[in-house]
Amino acid sequence: MNKQKDLSQPLGAIVTFLVPALTIYVAFTAYPVVRTIYNSFHEVLPGHPNEFLGLQNYVTLYNDKYFWGSVKNTLTWALTAPFFEQFFAILLALALYARIPGARFFRIVWFTPVLMSFVVVGIIWMWIFNYDWGALNVILRAIGLENLAMSWLGDPSIALPALILVTTWMWTGFNMVVLLAALHSLPSEVLEASELDNCNWPKKLWFVIIPMIRPTILNLIVLSFVGKMKIFDLVWIMTKGGPLWSTETVSTYVYKRAFEWNSFDLGYPCSIASVWFVIVLAGVLLLTFIFRQRDKLEY
Amino acid sequence: MASFSRSWKHVLLIFVLTIYTAYTAGPLFWVALMSLRTTTEIAHNPYALPETLHLWKFSEAWVNSNYSVYFANSVKVVLSAVAIITLVGGMAAHCFARYRFPLRKVLYFTIFSTIIFPPQITIIALFQILVEYGLYNSLVGLMLSYVAFQLPITVYILESFFARIPADLYDAARMDGYSEWQIFWKVSMPVALPALSTTIILNTILLWNEFLYAVVLITDESKRTLPLGIQKFMGDQLEDIGMISTGLMIAIIPVVIIYVFFSERLIQGMTAGAIK
Repeated sequence: MNKQKDLSQPLGAIVTFLVPALTIYVAFTAYPVVRTIYNSFHEVLPGHPNEFLGLQNYVTLYNDKYFWGSVKNTLTWALTAPFFEQFFAILLALALYARIPGARFFRIVWFTPVLMSFVVVGIIWMWIFNYDWGALNVILRAIGLENLAMSWLGDPSIALPALILVTTWMWTGFNMVVLLAALHSLPSEVLEASELDNCNWPKKLWFVIIPMIRPTILNLIVLSFVGKMKIFDLVWIMTKGGPLWSTETVSTYVYKRAFEWNSFDLGYPCSIASVWFVIVLAGVLLLTFIFRQRDKLEY
Repeated sequence: MASFSRSWKHVLLIFVLTIYTAYTAGPLFWVALMSLRTTTEIAHNPYALPETLHLWKFSEAWVNSNYSVYFANSVKVVLSAVAIITLVGGMAAHCFARYRFPLRKVLYFTIFSTIIFPPQITIIALFQILVEYGLYNSLVGLMLSYVAFQLPITVYILESFFARIPADLYDAARMDGYSEWQIFWKVSMPVALPALSTTIILNTILLWNEFLYAVVLITDESKRTLPLGIQKFMGDQLEDIGMISTGLMIAIIPVVIIYVFFSERLIQGMTAGAIK
C-alpha cells in the first residue's frame, strides 16, 4: 500500500505533537469529568474535607421533584425543537432550491441569528414578548386579536413554548443552509425525472427529496437534540427557569444548586450532572441506533 | 393561463419569503434602531425610526458603562484561545491523521466523543480546579477552559482534512530531508489553510458569544467578557432599554462586520460540524 510508506513511526515527533493537546484535555476535560463523578458520591463543602455519602445524593435526586420537572422541560425542548427546525428549514431550502431571485440574499439573512450570542438573542426576545410594548402583542393588537395578547414569559403554560419558538427562530436558518447544500449536491437528473413523471410537489418532497437527503436531516436532528439537552444561556437570560419552574432546564437547575442556593454543597449538583451526562449519551446513542435501523430496513 | 398561474405562485412565494426574512432580520434591525435612540424616545414609541442619531450613546457605553473593558477582555480571551486551539489542535490532528501508533483510535475516539458532552459534567469540577490552581476569576483560567472546550471539534475538523492530503506530498518532503516538525509546519498547515480558516472562524464566533463558562468562572467586574457584561448591565439597569440596546450592538457589530465581508466563509465555518 502506498499509504504505508508515508506512515513511519517517529515516536519522538508523535509524543511532541500529542502532548500539548492531551495535557489540556486531561487537565481541563478528563480530570473534571472524573472529579464530578467522584463529587457526586460526596458532600463537598468549601473548607471541609469531602464526606463520603455513598448513593445518598442519588436517592435525594430520585425524590427531587424540581429535578424531574427540569428533565421534563428539557426533554420537551429537545424532542420538539429539532422537528420544528427541520420542518421550516426543508420548506425554506426548497424555496431557495427553486432558483428564486435574491436567493443568495435570503440565505445570508436567514443565517444571521445563529451568529448571535444567546445573551443578545435572549434580551431581544424578552422585549419582543413584553406585555405592554413587545412586538408580538403590538402586532396581535394591530390585527384585532387583542384577546391573544398575553404575558408570554409570565404564564407558566406559555413560557416554555415561547422559548422553544426563540430557538426555532435562531436555528432554522442554520439547518436550512445545511439542507440546501445537501440538495445542491444531489444529481439533478433525479429531480428532473420526477418532474417529468408529473409528480406533484408534496409527493416529490416526501418520496424523492426527503429520502435522498435523509442522512443530512438525521444528522441535523441529532445535533439539534444535543444542543437543546445542554441549553442554559437562553433560559438564564430570559426567565431564570421561571415562572414557577416552568422553564427550568437541567442545566439551569445544576447551576442554581451549585452556585446560587445557599447550601454550598457541590456534591449534589454533581450527581445531577452525572445522571444527565449518562442520559445525553444514551439519547444520542439511541437516536443514532434508531436511525441506523431504519436505514437498514429501507435500503 | 399556465404561465399566469406559475408567475402568480412565484409572486406569492417571494411574498412569503420576504415575510420570513422580516421575521428573522426584524428583531436585529429593531435593536440597531433602538441603539441610536434614547430610552425616553423608545418609551414614547418603541417602533419609530431614530429622529436624530444619538451616536454619543456608544461613547457613553464604551467609557462610562465599562464596555471598553468588556470588549478588550473578550478580544484578549478569544484571540489567545483561538490561537492556542489552532496550534495545539492542528498538531494533534496532524498526528492522528499522518502517523500510526498504539492507542491512536482510542485516543481519537475519546477526544472526539467529548463533542457531545453537556458542559455541566465538567463545569463544577472545573470551578473547583481553577480555584485550586489560582486561576479562578482570571482571564487565563477562562481562556484555558475555552481551549479545552473547543479542542475536540477542532481536532475533528482538521483531522479529516489532514487525512485527505495526498501521501506523495509527505514523501517528497521526507526525501528533501524535512524533519517531522518541518513537515507539519511547511506541508500540513499551509495545505490545510481552508480547513484552518474554517475552525478559526467557528471558534472565534462561538467563543465570542460564550456565556456559561464566563458566568461560572468570572466574578470581577473588570474581568467580564462582553456577554457577561451585557447580562450584568441588564440586571442593574433593567428599564434602560436604550442603553442595553447600545450594549447589544457593541457585541453584534464586530460579528456583522466580519459577516458582511466573509459571509460564505462564515457560513461554511459554522456549518462545518453539521456537514459530513
